[in-house]
Amino acid sequence: MTMAPERTPFIRSDGKEKVTGAGRYTADLNLTGQLHAKFRYADHPHARILSIDTAAARALPGVFAVLTWEDVPDVLYGGSVNDRRLFAKEKVRWEGDIVAAVAARTADLAAEAAGLIDVRYEVLPPLTDFAANAEADAQLVHEAWADYEADENLGLSGNILGHSSIVKGDADAAMAGADVVVKSRYVADASQGAPIEPRAIVADWQGDKVTVWSSTQVPFAARSGIAHTLNIPESQVRIIVPLLGGGFGSKCDFHFEAHVAALARATRRPVKLVFSRREEFLAPDHRREGMIIELETGASRDGRLVARRGRLILDKGAYCGEGGFFAQMAAMHACGPYQIDAVNVDSYLNYSNQQPSGSIRAPTAPQACWALEQHMDELAAALEMDPAELRRRTLIGEGDEGPAGQVFEEIGAKQTLEAALDMIGYGRELPEDEAIGVACGWWPSFGVPSGAYVKLNRDGTGTIVTGAMESGTGAVMGLPLLAAEALGMKAEDFSILYQDTDAGPWDMGSSGSQTTFNNGRAVVEAATEVREKLLDLAADDLEVSRDDLVLADGTLSVKGSPDSSVTIATLAGSGEPILGKGSGDVPEAPAVDASGCVGRLGLESFLAPQLITQAARVKLDRDTGVIRVLEVAAAHDSGVIVNRIGADGQVYGGVLMGIGQALSEATWFDDEGRQLNPGLLDYKLQTASDAPEINIRWVEIDTPNAGPNGGKGVGEPPSVPTPGAIGNAIAKLVGRPIDRLPMTPERVWEAIHGGPEE
Amino acid sequence: MTGYIRANTVEEAVAALAAGARPIAGGTDLVVGARQGKQSLPDALVGIHRIPGLGAITETDAGIDLGTLVSHAAIVSHPAIRERYTALADASVLVGSHATRAQGTLGGNVMHASPAMDTGAPLLCLGGTATFATPSGDRTTDLVDLWTGPGETTAGPDELLVAVHLPASAQATGSAYVRLQYRRHMEIAVVGAAAAVILDGGAVTRAAIAITALAPVIRRVESAEQALTGTSGGAPAVEAAAQAAADAARPIDDVRASATYRRAMAAVVTRRAVQAAIARARGEEIPIPATESTQGSWR
Repeated sequence: MTMAPERTPFIRSDGKEKVTGAGRYTADLNLTGQLHAKFRYADHPHARILSIDTAAARALPGVFAVLTWEDVPDVLYGGSVNDRRLFAKEKVRWEGDIVAAVAARTADLAAEAAGLIDVRYEVLPPLTDFAANAEADAQLVHEAWADYEADENLGLSGNILGHSSIVKGDADAAMAGADVVVKSRYVADASQGAPIEPRAIVADWQGDKVTVWSSTQVPFAARSGIAHTLNIPESQVRIIVPLLGGGFGSKCDFHFEAHVAALARATRRPVKLVFSRREEFLAPDHRREGMIIELETGASRDGRLVARRGRLILDKGAYCGEGGFFAQMAAMHACGPYQIDAVNVDSYLNYSNQQPSGSIRAPTAPQACWALEQHMDELAAALEMDPAELRRRTLIGEGDEGPAGQVFEEIGAKQTLEAALDMIGYGRELPEDEAIGVACGWWPSFGVPSGAYVKLNRDGTGTIVTGAMESGTGAVMGLPLLAAEALGMKAEDFSILYQDTDAGPWDMGSSGSQTTFNNGRAVVEAATEVREKLLDLAADDLEVSRDDLVLADGTLSVKGSPDSSVTIATLAGSGEPILGKGSGDVPEAPAVDASGCVGRLGLESFLAPQLITQAARVKLDRDTGVIRVLEVAAAHDSGVIVNRIGADGQVYGGVLMGIGQALSEATWFDDEGRQLNPGLLDYKLQTASDAPEINIRWVEIDTPNAGPNGGKGVGEPPSVPTPGAIGNAIAKLVGRPIDRLPMTPERVWEAIHGGPEE
Repeated sequence: MTGYIRANTVEEAVAALAAGARPIAGGTDLVVGARQGKQSLPDALVGIHRIPGLGAITETDAGIDLGTLVSHAAIVSHPAIRERYTALADASVLVGSHATRAQGTLGGNVMHASPAMDTGAPLLCLGGTATFATPSGDRTTDLVDLWTGPGETTAGPDELLVAVHLPASAQATGSAYVRLQYRRHMEIAVVGAAAAVILDGGAVTRAAIAITALAPVIRRVESAEQALTGTSGGAPAVEAAAQAAADAARPIDDVRASATYRRAMAAVVTRRAVQAAIARARGEEIPIPATESTQGSWR
């Protein structure tokens, strides 16, 4: 283990404006002459559209445009599968499918007009049972699936959007030879990202170019989506993101920007869309997927994991979006960061008439990890072994093999376990209504192209121009630390120009915990180019060799003669352009021979995996089943940390989100696939009052083949093992694991009191 | 088009009501509900929030008068309520968020007539009456006769609730309100119960028990009260009262809980409310809110 260079905690520059209310978000933006948009959503979760009559809506005074599929190019779009249109054409496939869009003088008028659109349907049976949808005789969510453009590695077939397997060795034979075999079945309900800022979009055309202000996590994907669906060049689309009020993944992907741009084009006016809280639940094609997880593990008496079999079924909902990789990702999390001799895990991603699932903070991982970690505790019980000891014997380390044969470089899994156990005081005496549970998890780093410019201003300050996106994590806000370190300047000396597709280079956006990992590398390279120029200029100015120069504290001075120096401000003030650009080499996951696996999408090998162990101390109210989380110890290997205060913030938020997923957050649907709790009263986020004591320890390994200075990512991992740790604590108090997520008071009470009376 | 006037006196407000307006004070039900699309704002509104005198809490020999504009926050911080009408403080401190409690009024809560309202069960147990200003003068009614269904009351559209009165409490009275809550803050009652007891020489001489969110209206449960009255308030009597409350419940099945769970929880919260009320009557310290202090392994 190596330690990071000592860095002063850096307070993000956008903090004050956000906290004081001075910050401007998309909904704060108003343009002269702007109209207001509303959507007409599907009236049934599954129905054939017979006719759409917009006459009455168009006739309403104050209505400027009513658009349906007839008014935009007939283009299919999606992520790994192009399976949807901006406006439903033949069928509606979930309750949030958009049938029409209205622009009117006021939002109320637009809503009234949307209600006046007469849509005739042939109502179809809702296909809400995502497991049954895979059966051979099931009706189809997408009748024309075979004609869709799709990633051929997915194995799209009927209602099965994707099928992936992780296979190593002969799991059946190994299972047969195991001393102990444990089988479990767990079911996780769907949940939401639930950002507090409901999404907003403003579109404004100038000639044939459109500028769209959008509360998106992925401005470049939004640009591509508009260009593709409206059939215009990307160069004619500019996306600007004002401050973003949270996303948690739900604002990843291209969503509603093209609808608003199309309305603005049709009306020749700026058009603004602002979601209500209810819409923020119902309309996004993004929620955390429901999942059925069946696991079977064979072990030897001494705790060696000799075989793992698994079968996972994930609810994809109505459309693919960017979530095509979920089956394979879930399969990797059903294996976990453990040494297992033989593996055979099958994972299915099925269409249904539910809200589409999409990336929500570590997609598939919290649910799969919750199931696996409770399963591991069940196995420990069967082995009569302490659950922490079982993990100590089986967690991966340097040189060990991953689920599909990947060989790991230096990795801190075992250190995170010991750190978490130490922090929580594992094994100590507790009151009879309290228990401690432990869970381990992991999450890959994503190596993708990314770019940045660094330029020096005439007053000696710097500006970072980046394509990276700040969703509130502080990742972009931390980039100045990296530039400052390369340039002997202070982080406070840098401003950032970002979230404008006409400014920074292409970027994947705020997704995959990849901003520091990839854009950090780009900023370091750009700053290094600036450093080279400074050294050249100073060498000229001071008439010395570059090799004799030291760059520190904003000054270039000659080694051994500190009086002979020139400041960066002096050099930059001459007007000489001092610019750097960077992208850096993209790290790649180690190659593996995963020829036994199907549905390979590149996740069979995890690049620079982040390792986590969390331990939770919980208290049970036995009469009611109400669980209170009193303390969480979070130990993370995210590589070398750039900004401790920002990284800690990610853990606080991630753990609290994890507690919500563990105990209270679920989107429940009725039999037809309509959400039952689309609001903050009945979709129960954890509040500040519910937050436990959270203690954090970073296992800082200078990770090979990773981000800048040996860093990895930290946005998503903190919520991965939290539900599992809480679940294991509850299981100790209740005497058996709760097999449904979230582990609501009623479910815990049922487990204690023997189930509901019939 | 929504019209709005602001009344300066009770008479102006009643006149506006008689002309078809609906009253608004804190707006925490009406405005929030309209924004959520539950029901649009009425065509005509009369603001009553500036009418002098309606925001006072007044102690008299006969008891305590709570003006219709009294906020939940004011109730929570009032020493006499905390000491002698403790169940109402237990309930008021749980209503909505800090902002709701600062803005929302007791009158609004009472007249919204939600079966899940937190203040309802304590008010019933403490013998609350409501006074209305009407075009033909003041009218007073027992709260038990006011609520008839979810959002429904016996008050006429031209009647303005001006005050809630709670009679003076006897010595050795204790009261408590307990609800089931899934998280610590920003909750709505899924199941709740209030109890008020008077002790004399160790015996329960009077018991009032009411249940919340377990029937179309907040209601007293006589069978539970009878199970407790005349006993020493020991565990068997408390359990019998709790079971009677559960038996009297008419719980629904919905996204918040199943009917089975609600009925089981009716017994739990009733037991805890009764135990806390008895403990307070005996002079024991049960911190407000009782929901929090009776959680988990308490007793």
